[in-house]
Amino acid sequence: MKNLYLNIFRIVLVILILLLVGMLFNLQVVKGTYYQSIAESNFIRIRRIPATRGEIYDCKYRPIVTNIPSYNLYLTSGKISNMDALSSFLAYNFSIDAEELHKMVFEQRFKTYEEILILDNIPYEMVIKLSEKISNFPELSFRSGTTRNYLYPNHFTGYVGRIDAKEYERYKDEDYSLNSYIGKNGLERFYEVLLRGKDGKEIIQVDAQGRSLEIFKDNISLPPQNGLSLILTIDNDLQSYANEIFPTGAKGCIVVTDIKTGGILAYVSKPDYDPNIFMQKISPEVWASLNIPEKPLLDRVINATYPPGSVFKPIVGTLGLEKKVIDRNTHLTPCRGGLKIGNRFFRCWYAPGHGSLSIVDAFKFSCDVFFYDLINHMELDDVYAHTKACGLTEKTGIDLPNERSGFFPDTKYYKKKIGRVTGLSGFKANLAIGQGEVLSTPLEINTFFAAIARGGIWLQPHLLNRTMGAARINREQIEPLKSYRLPWSASTQQILKEGLWAVTNAPGGTARAINVPGATTYGKTGSAENYMGKLTHAWFAGFIETDKPEIVVTVFLENAGGGGAVAAPLANKIFNYYMGNIERIKKPAPIPPQFLTAEEQESEPEMEMETPAATETSVPPIESPIIENNPESNP
Amino acid sequence: MINRKKFDFILAGYLIALIAIGCIVIYSASTTTIGEYTTTQNYWWKQVIFAVIALLSVYLLLKIPMPIFELVIVPAYILNILALILVLFTPPVNGAHRWFSFFGINYQPSESAKLLTILVVARAISKDNLTEIKQIFIALGLTALPVLLILIEPDFGSSLVFFFSLLAMLVAAELPLYYILLIISPVISIITSFWWIAIIVWIIVLVYLLLKARLSWVTVSISSILNLFIALITPVFWNGLKDYQQQRILSFFNPMADPLGAGYQIIQAKIAVGSGSIFGKGWLEGTQKNMHFLPEHHTDFIFSVIGEEFGFIGSLVLLGLFFLFFHRLINDIGQIQVRERRIAASGIFAYLLFQTFINIGMNIGLIPATGIPLPFISYGGSNLLFNTLAVGVVLKYLNERGLMK
Repeated sequence: MKNLYLNIFRIVLVILILLLVGMLFNLQVVKGTYYQSIAESNFIRIRRIPATRGEIYDCKYRPIVTNIPSYNLYLTSGKISNMDALSSFLAYNFSIDAEELHKMVFEQRFKTYEEILILDNIPYEMVIKLSEKISNFPELSFRSGTTRNYLYPNHFTGYVGRIDAKEYERYKDEDYSLNSYIGKNGLERFYEVLLRGKDGKEIIQVDAQGRSLEIFKDNISLPPQNGLSLILTIDNDLQSYANEIFPTGAKGCIVVTDIKTGGILAYVSKPDYDPNIFMQKISPEVWASLNIPEKPLLDRVINATYPPGSVFKPIVGTLGLEKKVIDRNTHLTPCRGGLKIGNRFFRCWYAPGHGSLSIVDAFKFSCDVFFYDLINHMELDDVYAHTKACGLTEKTGIDLPNERSGFFPDTKYYKKKIGRVTGLSGFKANLAIGQGEVLSTPLEINTFFAAIARGGIWLQPHLLNRTMGAARINREQIEPLKSYRLPWSASTQQILKEGLWAVTNAPGGTARAINVPGATTYGKTGSAENYMGKLTHAWFAGFIETDKPEIVVTVFLENAGGGGAVAAPLANKIFNYYMGNIERIKKPAPIPPQFLTAEEQESEPEMEMETPAATETSVPPIESPIIENNPESNP
Repeated sequence: MINRKKFDFILAGYLIALIAIGCIVIYSASTTTIGEYTTTQNYWWKQVIFAVIALLSVYLLLKIPMPIFELVIVPAYILNILALILVLFTPPVNGAHRWFSFFGINYQPSESAKLLTILVVARAISKDNLTEIKQIFIALGLTALPVLLILIEPDFGSSLVFFFSLLAMLVAAELPLYYILLIISPVISIITSFWWIAIIVWIIVLVYLLLKARLSWVTVSISSILNLFIALITPVFWNGLKDYQQQRILSFFNPMADPLGAGYQIIQAKIAVGSGSIFGKGWLEGTQKNMHFLPEHHTDFIFSVIGEEFGFIGSLVLLGLFFLFFHRLINDIGQIQVRERRIAASGIFAYLLFQTFINIGMNIGLIPATGIPLPFISYGGSNLLFNTLAVGVVLKYLNERGLMK
């Protein structure tokens, strides 16, 4: 019996080897030709079916970013038979040089059965012209897809582009392929996850003759899930109006925000660029035109900080009221055209001097001396804390990438910079009027004034209202909007509003250019000196109320002159346009039925009531639903 | 210490032939032809270096005096267990914690664990004065430790190999066969639990076999009731699993349920092997391989390259070589006089045989993809080293025959 187990081993060995031989015989000899035909036709492969990216609409369902059909050229590197012919064909017709081609083939060397997108957005005429020639190259194929169409130049939509090597390394686990598009900037990038959808997959299994092969029972495909469309708070009418009135050649921005919701109605930064140029291969000329000193790619609303000038004065004023340094009627040192602090004379912008003023009048005249004097009664770190609490040193949290935050110095900053924490009155005086080290983004100023208009409630600004498509998610569901109370009492709020009212209404106010029939106006001008040019940066931030808060407008113009003379008139036009005094706002186009679900259709009348900008005009409805927006017809 | 008269040149010859075939096929597997452009990755010469290192290690192993070798086994086993624990804290590669890498060299402690566990188990159960029950429990305990750690990694395939080696060692320990039956009976009970007719048939067969082995009524009834209980409780466990856990288990046994994942690989391997037909497409000519349908064709799916490029004839040659090798190994086991070494050699035999079977079976769609490489052929340093060393251990035992007992 000693060799019983050896015999067991022998039996097991023989059985296993015979099993394998039998299976191999079946696979290679009996079915060999069948598998050979599959391997030759080579038509079992996984193909990605790209999901359609979500589109972007304004608050009245008018398109801002849409998808349009495009033709793309794909290469399957495993099928290349004559590399030289291919590279000369591509170089001749599509100006893809051999080096580029080799690089692409090399990058794809482990997935030679997958298609690589080698060129997108090929003109249709070219597709027709070349479709016959291309049949000589089985490795090449045209395939229709979609590309992005940006309806107007702007800075908030951003644009998409082919995923680059760095992004691919980072996101490849999230089901991106080397052919994928990814949001590069703006909303396209911020809401990439919502817009993108989920690519489908398809297993194609036909042989060279087009016969279906029965390797899987059925052709398996996972249909793509299209991305969600975005409904923005942007109002295309207001946006295009703000674009039109923007002085030609000027640099700067206009932001209009709905006070009630914090949603941004218009977002203009000039000079701007057309995102569509990024949808093709960028030529050196186009690239050069984007890299001029005017910086058209720069989003001046959130990506740049500027000295706020006098629009910063409400911060200092309210802190004075809160710290009980002053009250409604306190008159500080009279303005004689300037104030001597230490051994330096700080001038008021108005050389003859404003005389003795209360805080309301100081706002009205934008008297510098009042604020020089006021800030000298306060600690720098208190002013810093107050500025921070007003949101002017923090990012606003708008739903766009790359936002910058403003800056206000504290004593630590000066200790580091000049090595002392005393004798800062000169610096403080400058800070009081929004000069010196203090910097803000126009959006921060806008959000701050919206908070004043809201009765002291700060609310996170945003561009997205809700999504549309497979899921309806509103902005609050993505992330609750931040909101907090500005650090001042009701009486301070009352006095501040009185001052801002005086700026636009009282005789001698710096923004008398503001005149909006049918609404109460508030505002503050600013003319910030800066190193960038001789002329001051022109600022205006203000808001209007009817029986309820309406909109807040911030106008910022780089090196354009005084805020009252240059910026306020633009804001005035927007207020009046909004109120319907200049020209009726286009009646909202009927909502296209495909955008409505059954339940929405039922509740639609209610929704219209809630759309503030659309229907709450003081002007009766007009007969023709659409009036061309003709700038020359403006008064 | 190499005794020329006792050294088994034939077994060593088969071993070298298999490794050589591996190098040739890896050369092809790491070569890609697109049009007239050919690129070769550096796998094949790395494998040649690994092969040289592995054979040198065998030479050194043969030189080591037997007492020292025997002394090292248990400490090495303990160190290996520690390595298996440590490896769980390494960063995951493809979602599993299997590798240590120092200076670009990857070491997989589960590879050495297989060989060391076999040697330690053989040592433990061949001690004198052990009852059969004790032998079984010691063997199970010593195997369960590394198996559990390897399951955590996770590496299901490697754990499976342990089970087969353990069975072979118990068979070689000449335990009565009904013990073997009792050990594998719970596994069969779990498998049959999905169909009530199968449960009944299985329990009847079990009772019959146990009765035939002249076991007492008590043992028979306890074991059959226990198995019945396992068969009945399994569905309860199954339903207690989360949906995704069920899916994962199902797609292991039925890869076609996951055609975009595991199933896709197996289908591509099958097409590669099948399209090789009788004579194959010729060395370096495999189209499936050149198109990179199989991402791991130099490791786990190396057989598909052989099947595709050398056809049925080539596959037969390879299988024949494996058959001769294993047959020689069985005969050699019979030559070993010391019981402990015989048991160890049997474990090594089973460990190599089942890796070979599972890997080739996986390449031709017989067995689910489990990530087990083909011994001596697949690319991979630690795998080649420890498989070769395992054969080296048998060669060393043969050299010592007749010296003791």
